[in-house]
Amino acid sequence: MAQTALKLKGSPPVSDWKKWLGVTPFFLFAILFLVLPSLRLVMGSFTNSEGQFTFANLLQLFQEQFILDAYWLSIRISAATAIGGGIFGFLLAYSVTVGGLPKPLRSALITFSGVASNFAGVPLAFSFIATLGRTGFVTALIKNVFGINLYQQTEFDLYSFWGLSLTYMYFQFPLMVLIMAPALDGLKREWREAAENLGASTTQYWLRVALPVLLPSILGSMILLFGNAFGAYATAYALTGGRLGIITIQIGAQIRGDVLHNPGLGYAMAMGMVIIMAISLIGYSWLQKRSERWLR
Amino acid sequence: MTHLSLKNVSKHFGDFTAVNDFNLDVNKGEFVSFLGPSGCGKTTTLRMIAGFEIPSTGQITINGADITNKAPSQRNVGMVFQSYALFPNMTVAQNIGFGLRIRKEKEADVVDRVKEMLAIINLEKKADSYPYQLSGGQMQRVALGRALAIRPEVLLLDEPLSALDAKIRIALRAEIRGIQQKLGITAIYVTHDQEEALSLSDRIVVMREGEMDQVGTPFQIYNFPTTVFVANFVGTLNNASAEVVDPAKSIIAIDGIQFESAVDLKERKKGDKVRVAIRPERFNFVSQEKKANIVDCRIENITFLGSIVRIQVMIGNSKFYMDTFNNPFLELPKIGDKDQVTCSREAVLVLDE
Ligand SMILES: Nc1ncnc2c1ncn2[C@@H]1O[C@H](COP(=O)(O)OP(=O)(O)OP(=O)(O)O)[C@@H](O)[C@H]1O
Ligand SMILES: [Mg+2]
Repeated sequence: MAQTALKLKGSPPVSDWKKWLGVTPFFLFAILFLVLPSLRLVMGSFTNSEGQFTFANLLQLFQEQFILDAYWLSIRISAATAIGGGIFGFLLAYSVTVGGLPKPLRSALITFSGVASNFAGVPLAFSFIATLGRTGFVTALIKNVFGINLYQQTEFDLYSFWGLSLTYMYFQFPLMVLIMAPALDGLKREWREAAENLGASTTQYWLRVALPVLLPSILGSMILLFGNAFGAYATAYALTGGRLGIITIQIGAQIRGDVLHNPGLGYAMAMGMVIIMAISLIGYSWLQKRSERWLR
Repeated sequence: MTHLSLKNVSKHFGDFTAVNDFNLDVNKGEFVSFLGPSGCGKTTTLRMIAGFEIPSTGQITINGADITNKAPSQRNVGMVFQSYALFPNMTVAQNIGFGLRIRKEKEADVVDRVKEMLAIINLEKKADSYPYQLSGGQMQRVALGRALAIRPEVLLLDEPLSALDAKIRIALRAEIRGIQQKLGITAIYVTHDQEEALSLSDRIVVMREGEMDQVGTPFQIYNFPTTVFVANFVGTLNNASAEVVDPAKSIIAIDGIQFESAVDLKERKKGDKVRVAIRPERFNFVSQEKKANIVDCRIENITFLGSIVRIQVMIGNSKFYMDTFNNPFLELPKIGDKDQVTCSREAVLVLDE
């Protein structure tokens, strides 16, 4: 007995560094591609083109109308797709979990969502251009079947605010499905039965129990969707070719160095994004903690 | 006066019969337990009373009114779940007041009733706590208060204590019984724990594979089981196969060793195969007490169970347990010793093979 205790006492130093062995590649990776670039970003935003310290870049964020417009446009698109994708995704997740649709449908939807939520960038943009662009096949179909020319007779434009939002929806709602399905599974059957037993109708149960319990998850997921859309770049760039001045595209323009070239300002704009994202993530984790406490 | 009544109630799930021809009349203020092993249909029967399952056949009435097909929300039956099922987004007081607010009772009345319930379940200090801040025992008391707040006709409890540890289980079980008696409410209590059923109930329904095996008071169920299943399920029981030797004198033999029983065996014939059941506590060593049946045995094993010492003996080729109260001056035999044991005629139960 005493011997075992002694042996145990002696062993930690050996296993201590071994414990960390598995995560070493991750830390290396994080330092190289997360910590260092972030430092570069912060330093860059306080440096002018002569390499001297300055607040000018950050001040310029609030002075240049096109930058404020870009942030505002990004926020609107992200919010619209977060709310739209959130509601749509929630309803889908609801129907395959508590809604009682057949089991196979559920696994099919989850698999699709897993793939679709990661489908973004150039391929996504082109698939939308191929379907809903000026010469897309759905555009053509609508013209042939209903005799309506989307681009001439309606306000519709794939390369606009709503067009881009629609395209984002393609990866937004599946992400919502992926997050909400487990949360909906966390609703206990007994809660519903207890509510019914106490005289509540289905509507009363949803309004007083289920939705309040789910609300932190719903809001938290929508924040996640917001961040997801807010950081997107390639999809928008491939779809609109830079015509729609969302913040990521404007940053790209500053850093890549065509006409607008001012890397310092670009860094400052990126830092603004990081701050907005950080605020969202804090909100997300706060809400997540709340719902975990309940759905435990 | 019959309050709750189940007549010829059955429930099928596809080809499977979960409950078969269940008949029970429960009096007002009576505490009835459904006792049986896992899967015997206790919960299903309870859920039919609550309205979560609709019987395949049969009728359920409360105060003579047919509720067989009524929605659960229209039955005014209170239910306490094994997993507590408290609403996590509401405080203790809000949970208890939920049913009353759904019924649109006046807010002042709701507040009063919640206070009253909090006093009954002894949780006044926790009124504003959330469920995740409570212990299991406290949560189940809240669930009880919530179910009772709506003044239900019948209180249904589905293994309400099985998620709690032993000490709390025993304390809360007494508390539940106390509250039930104080309010005079009719209660149905589902459990697979015989000790719980015996200590709580006015009457016990022992169930087995969807059927009612025996209905009776705890005293009847424990002392006069009518089937081997009940005898085995309720309490520890020695049972062995035996042969009727003399039907007129109620004498049977286990491996040739004769026992006299108090059970009337005139209906049986000499040579009939039967099962003999004897409770461990009904055996005594011969040196301590002289009784009708004195048989030879060999000591096989001795186990301390706290207040009781359980001695395993061989009588012929059959194993029997024998319980004696523990005391420091007890002279225990040694394993392998030959001895003699005795039991009264009344202790020898004779059941169908
Ligand atoms: N919805 C259902 N569909 C199919 N079979 C069911 C359903 N509900 C219950 N059963 C079956 O009916 C039988 C009785 O179930 P029930 O839950 O009433 O048992 P129980 O006596 O409460 O058991 P336990 O002590 O394990 O809770 C079980 O075999 C169960 O598998
Ligand atoms: Mg059960």
